[in-house]
Amino acid sequence: MTTATATKTWKRQDFASDQDVRWCPGCGDYVVLSAVHRTLAAIGRGPHENVFISGIGCSSRFPYYLGTYGFHSVHGRAPAIASGVKVCRPDLSVWIVTGDGDGLSIGANHLLHVLRRNIDVNVLLFNNRIYGLTKGQYSPASEQGKVTKTSPMGSIEQPINPLSFAIASQATFVARTYDADPKHVAAILQRAAQHKGVSFVEIYQNCKIFNDGTFNAVTNRDVRSDRIVFLEHGKPLTFGALGNKGITLNGVDPVVVEFEPGNPPADLLVHDETASVGLSFLLTRLAHPDFPEAMGVFRAVEKPVYEDELHAQIAKARENSKDTSLHALLRRGAETWTIKPPAAEGEAVRGEVESLGDALEEVGPEKDSYIADLDEDEGVPEGVARVLGTELSELTSDSDTVRVSADTPIGQVLEEMRAGDALATVLVCAEDDKIVGIVTERDLLHRIPDGVDLKTAPITIVMTPNPETLEPSDTVAHALNFAGARGYRRVLVVSEEGVTVLTVGDLLDFIRTSAP
Amino acid sequence: MATTATKPIEDIERVVIRFAGDSGDGMQLTGSQLTATSALMGNDIATFPDYPSEIRAPAGTLPGVSGFQVHIGRSDIRTPGDRPDVLVAMNPAALKVSLPDMEKGTTIIVNTDEFTAQKLKRAKWSSNPLEDDSLNKFRLVKVGLTSLTVGALDELEDLNKAGKERCRNFFALGMIYYLFDRPLEPTVKWLESKFKKKPLLAEANKKVLKAGYFYADTVELFTHVLRIPPATHMEPGEYRQISGNQALAFGLVAASMKAGVPLFYGSYPITPASDILHALANLKEYGVMTFQAEDEIAGSGAALGATYAGCIGVTGTSGPGICLKSEMMGLAVMTELPLIVINVQRGGPSTGLPTKTEQADLLQAMFSRNGESPLIVLAASTPTDCFDMAYEAVRLATKFMTPVVLLSDGYIANGAAPWRIPDESELAPIEIHHRTDEDGFEPYARDEHLARPWVQPGTPGLQHRVGGLEKAELTGDVNMQPENHELMVELRAKKVAGVAEDIPELDVLGDEEGELLVLGWGSTCGSIEMAVGQWNAGNDRKVSAAHLRYLNPFPKNLTDVMSRFKKVLVPELNMGQLALLIRGKFGTDVVELHKVQGRPFTIAELTDAFRANLEGGAS
Ligand SMILES: Cc1ncc(C[n+]2csc(CCOP(=O)(O)OP(=O)(O)O)c2C)c(N)n1
Ligand code: SF4
Ligand SMILES: [Mg+2]
Repeated sequence: MTTATATKTWKRQDFASDQDVRWCPGCGDYVVLSAVHRTLAAIGRGPHENVFISGIGCSSRFPYYLGTYGFHSVHGRAPAIASGVKVCRPDLSVWIVTGDGDGLSIGANHLLHVLRRNIDVNVLLFNNRIYGLTKGQYSPASEQGKVTKTSPMGSIEQPINPLSFAIASQATFVARTYDADPKHVAAILQRAAQHKGVSFVEIYQNCKIFNDGTFNAVTNRDVRSDRIVFLEHGKPLTFGALGNKGITLNGVDPVVVEFEPGNPPADLLVHDETASVGLSFLLTRLAHPDFPEAMGVFRAVEKPVYEDELHAQIAKARENSKDTSLHALLRRGAETWTIKPPAAEGEAVRGEVESLGDALEEVGPEKDSYIADLDEDEGVPEGVARVLGTELSELTSDSDTVRVSADTPIGQVLEEMRAGDALATVLVCAEDDKIVGIVTERDLLHRIPDGVDLKTAPITIVMTPNPETLEPSDTVAHALNFAGARGYRRVLVVSEEGVTVLTVGDLLDFIRTSAP
Repeated sequence: MATTATKPIEDIERVVIRFAGDSGDGMQLTGSQLTATSALMGNDIATFPDYPSEIRAPAGTLPGVSGFQVHIGRSDIRTPGDRPDVLVAMNPAALKVSLPDMEKGTTIIVNTDEFTAQKLKRAKWSSNPLEDDSLNKFRLVKVGLTSLTVGALDELEDLNKAGKERCRNFFALGMIYYLFDRPLEPTVKWLESKFKKKPLLAEANKKVLKAGYFYADTVELFTHVLRIPPATHMEPGEYRQISGNQALAFGLVAASMKAGVPLFYGSYPITPASDILHALANLKEYGVMTFQAEDEIAGSGAALGATYAGCIGVTGTSGPGICLKSEMMGLAVMTELPLIVINVQRGGPSTGLPTKTEQADLLQAMFSRNGESPLIVLAASTPTDCFDMAYEAVRLATKFMTPVVLLSDGYIANGAAPWRIPDESELAPIEIHHRTDEDGFEPYARDEHLARPWVQPGTPGLQHRVGGLEKAELTGDVNMQPENHELMVELRAKKVAGVAEDIPELDVLGDEEGELLVLGWGSTCGSIEMAVGQWNAGNDRKVSAAHLRYLNPFPKNLTDVMSRFKKVLVPELNMGQLALLIRGKFGTDVVELHKVQGRPFTIAELTDAFRANLEGGAS
């Protein structure tokens, strides 16, 4: 995004819009607007790379007067919307414009969270200590005793100090400027824009109509030098028209000291933008008339930035993940199973049948009719149908069986198998000799529960009860299918003479020896 | 010595099993395991987790009872079942709470160890029901689950007694596995992976599971082993089990992948919607950005910001959170941005019934904003439909550049069902076009669907301003002229109405015309369709059903469908909100059927209403 514009230089006019500015004449917002135009041009990113997001209030009309992208949202919510924009587009320069009502009353919660998350946006809070747009009600920043339309006898509320709030919310960049000094505004905005992480700037802004002169006692040209202390990183806090005043600490309390010009005491407080939160906080509490009020950058520290961390986690998750296909997504966190299409009743499954293998694959259960049809199909090797259609009664079994009664202990069965064929199939019989269960070597390996006494535990606890059986008239194809579908390695063929166990191996042997 | 051999296997069509115990008894987990195992065996399933809103209500008390009901079968299972065939009651309170749902002849397995005088009293039993005749009409299976569990773990010296006792739910599960011929392997495997870092617990639970299984076998508790053959009606394909919330999360991510546009989910935790946030937070490798906001306002605000930035911005919550999101929904209507708002409804008003289901936020979705602010309203009908409708929400929002509300509810959000995993090729295309062309660009010019262009900030030359103030057509400048406002109100309404051309018509289940149409929406789908199926199987006077998944706009043919029936019955888990909409919009009169008990309709409640509404009373 930045490459296209890196070479281009931008002028102030590139950041203006075609809309008529509608603030009252003399409103402090004009000063800030022109400072913003100037700052954006100085920063050098194109109008399209800046997004201004505001809430509601006089100040929040700001985006309309900029040639950037802009979102004039709803009252107090700009920080929330800006968070979404910045997380999705970390490459853009995102600004929040809010007022003392918008940001500290209805939207204070969002402001707190955008600050503590350290999302790399620039917050400009226009503090006129009044609700301007709604025509003059007291705001959370109005001083106690303030008479407004809603406080005819004076406000009884304690005001909030925006910078104390910002520091307490762990903002990583906190500054203050005032509309009576456009150069200072521009300088501070530029610092804010350069800061990586959230930047919070309080702007003392005069509301000409509903709170005219609210900051005059501090910012008026003739008193300014005695009532403002300009913060400079690494320099002692001094002020006064004669440069003869400074601030020291008495314990944890600030005190104003006077000295001979040019001869400051050694213990003046030296400003450090990276000092402990306590010291930054203390500076926000300096207030007229007991103290000069501080202007400049109170705090600027580096901390991990929310959206960087979020995208780093995404990158890490991607790195650690083997498969990020949709296919893998939909199978996440669960096992799957497959339901095969049923072959329609009496309908042969006709694919390209060119070999016995194909035929075996395609034959479904109960598909004797299919087998019969095979001989008539072209291209099917002769005899396939004959082999597959052979009745099980014609096959010979190659495996041993062991018959035991239902109460035989497992241990005894194991003995018998060890003595005879270890792969023998165990048929568990009831008193009438009827088969009630079957046990294979697999069952003996896997099914014996932990802690069972082999001497007493009956074989029934590991058997597969009531095994499904086949009839001598069933076909080879059917038996293969039956075993395959159920995952059996052997099938029981029950005839009047007794039980024969056919393993899959037996079936395949038969096919191999009789294959066409 | 008893053997299984003497126990014949009986094939059954379906069974409803309920586990009930303290909320600390692990009933949800036990139920989920039975569900997962049954799903893997190819059965059809539907589940209903019913848990108290306090995570740990006092042990042994009636409000503390946590239940999990699962309906397993081989044929179309669409609901968790009206009444359990088998109840596992872990304590006297669980028995007390579930007893009214049990019919004569059903099976109740009780943990006798818990029926002490003190615990009976805590559950408000005046006498011990196991000792009088009061349970004679049931097949009562008395098992000392706790003592047998501890006994089975005798050798595990490293686990203390309390730890051993805590495994008792797996003893009960083992018994159920035996009774219904389920394999132990899936649960054993699950335990091994779940407790990979705590092998002692894996070991203990496995032992207890097996002990329960063999105990049921050896002690001849049951005369039959029951087997539910695999489902036969299911479409061929690869299946998995999925809950509504999970499906919803997957639907959003699938849409994002299909569209090639990243997904941003801004949300504030709330029951029963939090699982969507949990699920999406775990899908970072799909590029999903999740943002746990400070409240629902910020959740929706951040999602709207994401949408403005060109991403798929989604916010999810439950009713109380929607109250807070109204503001952003209105702003999304005004700025014509495709914000997607999910409401997993729960019982209301206010904090209401956090863990119970209800469909009473339909009118809120339709109207809870100031001004004329129409948006698309969709409702998922089943757990698996949550996938389709989430996907559809993204498709429609981005195509029409309008916010969409997607309604789900606690019942389908937590309920699970087998899901045929769709192939990528089955998903509708989602074509998102971010405008980059400067030529003739106007922020509020419209395409053939009346959608305005979607421009990502950062695009050179297309800078413009959006906001909550009324816009001038085409330029998007602030404009309060009377004619312009009326034009814009109409355009926004027309755009949403036009969505009807892009959505499927309403299908009728059963005869296309007749005496009675049952018209439902959202999560009542399973109950209604199952009830209609059962009714029609046993009655000559047939009933048809139609189910709405699109509530604003309605499918084009809705009035036509309704006009073909003498009567339209509208069952809703609210006091008649769809009915009110239909009357208001079409003047069609409908018969209302309400239920607001925090629970879904039973089949019997519905069929009773069919009977009452067929003139002359069919049998
Ligand atoms: C939800 C909501 N509540 C109230 C209002 C009315 N309102 C608009 S701006 C405002 C106060 C603005 O004060 P501030 O943020 O200090 O901005 P200023 O106009 O002073 O720049 C109020 C109460 C609104 N627009 N929306
Ligand atoms: S009311 Fe006050 S803040 Fe608002 S535009 Fe006028 S002077 Fe500026
Ligand atoms: Mg103000």
